[in-house]
Amino acid sequence: MSAEFKINKGLDIPMEGAPGDQVRRIESKGTLSVYPSEFKNVKFKILVEEGDKVVRGGVLARRKDIPDCFVRSPAAGTVKSVILGARRSLKEIVIEPAGSDDAETFDAYTAADLLSAEREKLLAELTDTGMLGVIRQRPFSHTANPADVPKSIFVNGMATAPFRPDAHVLVRGKEKELQAGLNALTRLTDGPVHLNLDAKAKSAGDALTGAEGVQVNYFEGPHPSGNTGTHVHYLDPIVPGDVVWTLRVSDVLLIGELLLTGRVPNRKTVLLAGPGVKEEFRGYVDAPLGAPMSELLEGALEEGDLRVVRGDALHGEAVNVEDSGLYLYDEGFVVLPEDRERHLLGWYAPTTEQFSAHKVVPSAWVKEKKRFSFGTNTRGSKRALVLTGIYDPYVTLDIMMDPFIRVCIAGETEEAIAMGILESDPEDFALCTFVCPSKTDFGHIVAETLSMIEEEGI
Amino acid sequence: MSEFTKNLKETIEKKHGEAHELFKEGGKFEKLYPLFEAQDTFLLTPPDTTKGPTHVRDAVDLKRVMFTVVVALLPCLLWGIFNAGYQYYHYSGVEAGPIAYMLRGSWIVMPIVLTSYIVGGLWEVLFAVVRKHEINEGFLVTGLLFPLTLPPTIALWEVAVGISFGVVVGKEVFGGTGFNILNPALTARAYLFFAHAKDMTGEIWAKSIDGATGATPLGMGAAFGGEGKNVVDALADRGHTFFSMFGGLEPGSIGETAAIPILLGAAILIVSGVGSWRVMSGGCLGLLGAGILMNFMPTQGMEDGEMVQLTTWTQVPALYHFVMGSFLFGIVFMATDPVSAANTNMGKWIYGALIGVVTVLVRVTNPGFPEGVMLAILFMNVMAPILDHYVVQAHIKNRNAKLRKFSYAKG
Repeated sequence: MSAEFKINKGLDIPMEGAPGDQVRRIESKGTLSVYPSEFKNVKFKILVEEGDKVVRGGVLARRKDIPDCFVRSPAAGTVKSVILGARRSLKEIVIEPAGSDDAETFDAYTAADLLSAEREKLLAELTDTGMLGVIRQRPFSHTANPADVPKSIFVNGMATAPFRPDAHVLVRGKEKELQAGLNALTRLTDGPVHLNLDAKAKSAGDALTGAEGVQVNYFEGPHPSGNTGTHVHYLDPIVPGDVVWTLRVSDVLLIGELLLTGRVPNRKTVLLAGPGVKEEFRGYVDAPLGAPMSELLEGALEEGDLRVVRGDALHGEAVNVEDSGLYLYDEGFVVLPEDRERHLLGWYAPTTEQFSAHKVVPSAWVKEKKRFSFGTNTRGSKRALVLTGIYDPYVTLDIMMDPFIRVCIAGETEEAIAMGILESDPEDFALCTFVCPSKTDFGHIVAETLSMIEEEGI
Repeated sequence: MSEFTKNLKETIEKKHGEAHELFKEGGKFEKLYPLFEAQDTFLLTPPDTTKGPTHVRDAVDLKRVMFTVVVALLPCLLWGIFNAGYQYYHYSGVEAGPIAYMLRGSWIVMPIVLTSYIVGGLWEVLFAVVRKHEINEGFLVTGLLFPLTLPPTIALWEVAVGISFGVVVGKEVFGGTGFNILNPALTARAYLFFAHAKDMTGEIWAKSIDGATGATPLGMGAAFGGEGKNVVDALADRGHTFFSMFGGLEPGSIGETAAIPILLGAAILIVSGVGSWRVMSGGCLGLLGAGILMNFMPTQGMEDGEMVQLTTWTQVPALYHFVMGSFLFGIVFMATDPVSAANTNMGKWIYGALIGVVTVLVRVTNPGFPEGVMLAILFMNVMAPILDHYVVQAHIKNRNAKLRKFSYAKG
């Protein structure tokens, strides 16, 4: 069974710096790090000290909220240092790799075995190895809680935001891992597992379009047709009280690798793109998990003041390059120039150089398909929300944006729930932030409201 | 970029850098920062970079949006100037040509516009400084809308009082742009309308030129109706046909007499996506519908057992309502103010339609005020949040019904 959806709302942002599909492999040169701090709202207890020897898959720390869930080392070696962040939270554990391949092993399955594996056993292995961290749960987009049973599981194989990795590139050579991972997911829910793909890639004929045992759905249309929020909304919307689990294809590959080999994954393929990346480096990097950002980006960046964004340009987090590495949950990085240039009378200059979706800007009338340069400039100053009716065309959820955002700003959580905030993730409103003439940050407002709702309880 | 503009930009940037030291927190003129910000971001786009999860932005800026409305108003302003000059010479009985009309018209109209901008602007700056918020570009629109709704014979001190009331009571007491319930320009007009009634309505040219009656067609129409005449014929006898009123060489407020410049403005607003076509369409349908319904009203009725003549004003063809008075100007430029209008799509249709209906009701059934657009829009400004409330509730109900089908716990 599969479903097809054509989405008319949204906007594809024609950004310069699109990636090619070549994969560059890099090897670890120095230390590797594990970053428990990548999991927001989760506290950890450190279980090792500096100087301790660990093997690949060895225990480093334990989650305080789920005591069976551990943080494990991606490589065998010595714990070089333990770095604490704000309020003595565990930020980073640095491992000096020993070069050996000593590893703790876990249960390994064949893809066929997974189809009949027990849910409890699979879940226990994912929890124990820390791989639970790549499964997210909605509402609230936290790491999955093994105590909850999801009504369905969504796997995102689309890339409509500028830029996300193309799942069809990621699965090349990892077809077995993909199918094994999907098989395992079917055991975790009583409901369907949805694998959602871009209709443009329907004829790809690879492991994704041919995936077995899951419901393969196709979505057609501009961004955010590739957002998990869109898929959930069209396929199985969240009713208060329901829980769905969401993953991306890259996450399924990690789970598949773990369950096929019985070892925790130690490499990951991520995207490197954007106008701040040299053209020949715009593509994929197959790198060791925990490798420092400096190694990942070595030689790849353009000159000048740049911002490295973890995620995509519409919804991501600015990275401090000296102080970060490849996270377990990373999918890609977009590099943008920090644009502080001021333009004379730019607010009314008839620009065709800067992209706009609004017909008041001449560039919106340019018919030819071209890619525009983007930087981090706000391209206008912050003002009160004035225009109405301009945000709805960019949101695929069944939410009336104008009343909704006002309710969120006012902190009216009950009304926000009634209007549908629970099925959303802040990333679903990124285009509203993008097009807003008042430069309002919708993602931030929705995130604040969601955390308020969580504190109060639904 | 040419060498000249490049140098100019660099000089301005340098000077602004120096001036910023004075205006920033702890600087000598810290309190006047909103003034600095306003002219700084006017001359140069801000150097700010994005914070938060979305790292890139559209090139659109609220300044550009607001200025588009000003551009859309320019045809009305130019026509208003021409018409003011024409009316002046017409009622003075002096022969003159188009250039003389424009010159005389500018002499009459520009002081009104400038007074509105300067006095209103001062209030805007004062509140921005005291409240420590940015000076909002919305005032560029309010400051021009208001004079266009005034008769050209208005006294400048009245303009100053009116715009002060509009900006302070219509907007700033609610917290400034984005928070106001009523359209500030219309609030200002309503204030003058009630507080300075004799200067606002009726025989607007009569006071400057003895003996000439400069009553607006709308005012005359209501009077003829009361006398039981055939309104269309009676108006035509005085030289006011459908097409003359469409053309707009008629007495009336500065910006509203002619349909073509308003329709031009409407086209600019709709094509650029700044003005809501839903409000405009809803308004026109409402006016048309109510106008047609009015034609079915009886012209004779029983009173104390006797047959009496009722007003024939009800019988005026519905299309006349479009070209008489300020309906078009109101629905295109005033009702579409996004802050005071309904903000849901369905709400906008209803809001617009009711403005049309209430306009006709006030015009036809109310003997006190010949014009109903202003009151209709202000009334619907107040009602807009209620409309939105019901639209949102209906949407939530609809949404929940759809969701129930997907509930895991449906059993």
